Amino acid sequence: MNSFKIILFLCNWGPHAAFQELQDKRADIPAEIKMIRIPCSGRINKSLLFKPFEMGADGVLLIGCSPGSCRYGSGTDIATRSTEDTRQILELLGLKKERLQLNTFLPDEPDALLQFLKNFCEEIKAIGHSPVPSEKQEHKTEESASLAEIISSHDIYACQDCGKCTSACPLTLSGKPFSPRALAGSIIAGDIESPSVQEGIWSCLTCGLCYDRCPSAVNFPDFIQNMRIFFKNKDKNGHESHGGFFQSLMRTMTSPAVNTKRWEILPEDIRIDPDSKTLFFGGCAPYFDKYFNHNLGVSISNTNMDSLRLLNFFDIVPSVLSNERCCGHDLLWTGDLDNFKILAGLNIDAMKNLGIEQVITTCPECYRTLSHDYPEHGIDVPFKVTHMYDILETEISKGAVEFKETGKKITFQDSCRLSRFAGRADLPRKLLQRLKPDIFKEMPETGSAAICCGNTGWTGCDSHSKALQAKRLRQARATGSDLLITSCPKCQIHLKCAMQDPFLGNELSMDVMDLTSMIAKTIYWK
Amino acid sequence: MADINNTIATTTEVVITGFGGQGIILAGRIIGKAAALRDGKESTLVQSYGPESRGGACSAQVVISDKTIHYPYIRRPDVLVCMSQSGYEKYIDDIKDSTLLLIDEDLVHPGNIKIDFFAIPATRMAEEIGRKMMANIIMTGFFTAISQKISLAAAKDTVAESVPKGTEALNIKAFSKGYDFGLALLKGREKKAAGKIGAIA
Repeated sequence: MNSFKIILFLCNWGPHAAFQELQDKRADIPAEIKMIRIPCSGRINKSLLFKPFEMGADGVLLIGCSPGSCRYGSGTDIATRSTEDTRQILELLGLKKERLQLNTFLPDEPDALLQFLKNFCEEIKAIGHSPVPSEKQEHKTEESASLAEIISSHDIYACQDCGKCTSACPLTLSGKPFSPRALAGSIIAGDIESPSVQEGIWSCLTCGLCYDRCPSAVNFPDFIQNMRIFFKNKDKNGHESHGGFFQSLMRTMTSPAVNTKRWEILPEDIRIDPDSKTLFFGGCAPYFDKYFNHNLGVSISNTNMDSLRLLNFFDIVPSVLSNERCCGHDLLWTGDLDNFKILAGLNIDAMKNLGIEQVITTCPECYRTLSHDYPEHGIDVPFKVTHMYDILETEISKGAVEFKETGKKITFQDSCRLSRFAGRADLPRKLLQRLKPDIFKEMPETGSAAICCGNTGWTGCDSHSKALQAKRLRQARATGSDLLITSCPKCQIHLKCAMQDPFLGNELSMDVMDLTSMIAKTIYWK
Repeated sequence: MADINNTIATTTEVVITGFGGQGIILAGRIIGKAAALRDGKESTLVQSYGPESRGGACSAQVVISDKTIHYPYIRRPDVLVCMSQSGYEKYIDDIKDSTLLLIDEDLVHPGNIKIDFFAIPATRMAEEIGRKMMANIIMTGFFTAISQKISLAAAKDTVAESVPKGTEALNIKAFSKGYDFGLALLKGREKKAAGKIGAIA
């Protein structure tokens, strides 16, 4: 039976010669293995390693040149890192890391290669089929709204052509030839195929600053979201960052049989009550940590763990969703409405089954998505969604707690989803005021006027995003602060990314910490 | 095993002191009424005012008991609530080892005393909600949480009916602030006793 699907990425140089010899000898290479010849194992990044799993592969092999024999020098090292990170992500997803393996062979090792391929096949057969089906169920795509409907439902005609949006747009100000006003005008004129419109739709940060400034209250980010759905249905995609890895990851989670293991390892000091009707929703943090493991060294999971510790501190012992999937924020904002709805449905059903009454989340995107986008797209949310900061504010204002001095000069980066979309810029500030920093100094553009961290929804990242991040970090440094407090995991990832710049790095670098972690570190009972 | 202390301590003697005008008497009246009219106990109130109601020391003596009360004056309070330094100094020598001492931490500085006490910034909290005069209601909430001598429902209902019409909601908010603070303080002490002072172990 040849129902198992195994993808073999095979380096062009060393191991391919060995493989060819096997072919010449008509050796019995397992029929399940589909070979893809690649220029170098180092070029197969995490998104390419992962893509076959999204498409239903049962196993993936990456075979490169033995250490020291890489034609390009660093290929094998890079492949080792990428494979290691991707394997950990597979484990978190509950797909088992054994499904992805890296090995290296010299050209004169055909027999060892054959033995390895056979063993791998046996191993995969022992593990069984991937829970991700290779034939995606023919999913009835909903007829997306027509262009005319999108324009009228967002009242784009109300545009007064004043240009306040463009003059405020952080992307425009970073030097990108991008204008919300011109984009709206072109779309009204029906000019949707032109390169500038195509580029513009997928470059928008959806940060909402234009909506904040618009005298006609045209909800531009929402309009962009709908336009992306419109284009996606026509198979027109934007440039997804990181090779579309995160979108791939989220689409993989739409398979009902996938059983994630993201909550499996919790530090011992954290208390969880499986029967609690209050659920803590963590979001994508552990995946981010693994993905950026070798680049940024981010630890977004700490924010979740510190949130749970703070809840425990106040004697709130929540449950967690053992099979938690991504909330779908990034799929929705890159136009994949169908898969967004599937994810939402699976999450909501799982929570319904547990009889959840309240969901607490620290991630501003999860908060926005669960509380606003699910109902907006017709998904019934039978529980209350609360942001962690609301819980903290309520509990701390009851009194009897104090904060240790932080010994830091701090400034704060707003999250667009919380400060602008939800209109809650005051909420993190109330908490910041309770902390005891040496100095708390705001950047010039703050609160609902804050500028973006450079990207949203893992799409359209380019040199202008970088320019934007550099500008923001310079502002942060100019406040004289030594610690930048963030409230969204993405802000932290994006700003830390800019600090990796080999030329500007030192100029931009500063400590970054999430507000929740800062509170957890300093709070104590009086 | 029968708890001997329980059968003896059916009577609680509460002294509330402060400046005239802080609403000391009203606080005493609320506590007494909550016990007598809603919790089904007996209670008495002895109030001292007169010239004091214009700023001098002032006190309310409340006795709460399961049995008929024969004597309404208090010599050694079981609970002492102080909202002014002069009131504190006047009564502090009357306390027993078991006396529960509650103070407004901004108005009373206890110095070195032998017993443990519970402090709340009641007046500051009242200022935060916009009505300084509600410090007494915050203190009543705090008393309810810490002493457990009257029930929450009784206290709340009594507050609502004892305050001027139209200010019920704000007074209940003030009461809840004090009550929540009290619970948080108890929780904090419990955690500290268990060695869990901060959020990160």
